[in-house]
Amino acid sequence: MSDAVVLTLRAPLDQRADVEGLTPDRCASLTDRQIAELPITVGGRQAAVGDLFDVRGGSAARLEFEGDLSRVDGLGAGMISGELVVHGDAGDNVGLTMAGGIVRIQGNAGHRLGGPTPGASRGMTGGEILVDGNAGDDAAARVRRGLVVIGGSTGASAGRAMIAGTLVVFGNVGDHPAEGNKRGSLIAAGDIRVPASYRYACTYEPPFVRLLMTHLLRRHGLAIDPRVRDGHYKRYCGDAGGPGKGEILVLD
Amino acid sequence: MRAARVIITGRTEKWALAAATKLTGFATSVIACKCEAAIEQQLGPDETPDARPGVSVLFFAMDSDGLAKRLTERIGQTVLTCPTASCFDGLPGAVDRLNAGRALRVFGDRLQISKVVDGLRYWRVPVMEGECLLQESFGLHKKGVAGGNFLILAESDESALSAAEAAVQAIDGTPGVILPFPGGVVRSGSKVGARGYKGMIASTNDAYCPTVRPLTETALPDDVNAVLEIVLDGLSAEAISGAMRAGIDAACRPGVRAISAGNYGGKLGPYHFHLRAVMA
Repeated sequence: MSDAVVLTLRAPLDQRADVEGLTPDRCASLTDRQIAELPITVGGRQAAVGDLFDVRGGSAARLEFEGDLSRVDGLGAGMISGELVVHGDAGDNVGLTMAGGIVRIQGNAGHRLGGPTPGASRGMTGGEILVDGNAGDDAAARVRRGLVVIGGSTGASAGRAMIAGTLVVFGNVGDHPAEGNKRGSLIAAGDIRVPASYRYACTYEPPFVRLLMTHLLRRHGLAIDPRVRDGHYKRYCGDAGGPGKGEILVLD
Repeated sequence: MRAARVIITGRTEKWALAAATKLTGFATSVIACKCEAAIEQQLGPDETPDARPGVSVLFFAMDSDGLAKRLTERIGQTVLTCPTASCFDGLPGAVDRLNAGRALRVFGDRLQISKVVDGLRYWRVPVMEGECLLQESFGLHKKGVAGGNFLILAESDESALSAAEAAVQAIDGTPGVILPFPGGVVRSGSKVGARGYKGMIASTNDAYCPTVRPLTETALPDDVNAVLEIVLDGLSAEAISGAMRAGIDAACRPGVRAISAGNYGGKLGPYHFHLRAVMA
């Protein structure tokens, strides 16, 4: 048993790979050899983990990826527990429908971070996804529960049709944020254009934001600007097209 | 005894203390207050979940349901109402939970918001000031110990009080221990039942009352004119005996003739703190 299972990408990819299902909870009971035999897809064809990655360690609920994974999709997809760390960029569909555990992307992430499988009504239902860099379009779409934190900026439609859960964006939020949001929270520390379907409520210090930022600082060691933790936020209620119990909190 | 630890935070120490003082008001004895509670420690911003000044409070009650009810009533009337105050669980490792905060969410009249952080659920209840943040569940500690005590037998009321104050100062802030009585001190120690009245649960401990020395079977040495009692509740017997030792050490000063304890014939609860063993 090792502290972590480390998967190192052997060579840069010239086509996309998908590692959906290669999760820490699954690797927790497997040896390095068994992990290397797990199925993935490369360029739409079936392959094995060992075809792309060198596998070190086994039987650990912490999975680390090394190398340029910007063409590797589905990292942490379907995960239910444990910890998955990517030392660099990640592709699309990170944490797709995940239900628990922690995903940490130390670079940028692609589109549909924490989202649903195509056609499904729910995105992630639990756990935490932290991206140090930027995220693509549709980040935290249809999230039901859980926390998505983006250190940089997002593409369009972040928090689209959120059911509940929390999306924190430290950089700028792209166009059409949190449209169709039911009960979710979008916390924006950077620039954001709040949709017209949200109604302004008040400017206040949300005690929950303070708790959340303290958690991110202590549990994940994120460098939280005191202004983000202690500051005032403008609260907007919406999206008015639905139940309208969601919110966008914008750092004042 | 069932126990819980509640952490109250506020924008400043003043407001955390304001909520905690009210939260633990009228909670000296389970006999009439249904719970025993007091401030355990003051906490710095590094020690609280939301990085604000805080206070930890210990609660003790006879049964789990009763403890949950007391917490709901008290948090609802004292933390929910107190400006800037938030309320968190101080026993996160406890498997058994009391959903005291969950019952309070309905104050939000369906406008409340639930949030889960690190696997723990919190409620954001809209209030006129903004939002009150309450944790949903509190850890239940099933092996709380209440009623640890010792008596300070002194030559005068002044020397009894100053010895009791020294003992309280020595015990104050001990992790896992509270002193539920006013200023940490009890003057009306009791015995079980009463001789003169039927149906009394407790009555004055006349053996230690100096004014009726000739009228009763006294336990007081000749030169003792005042007795004060220190009562301790704790999360463990070890925490209580450690605090008792510190308190007794501090209480042994000029004017104090003896240290004793109410032992109630050894029948009041399963834990016994034998003073010689505590001090050994």
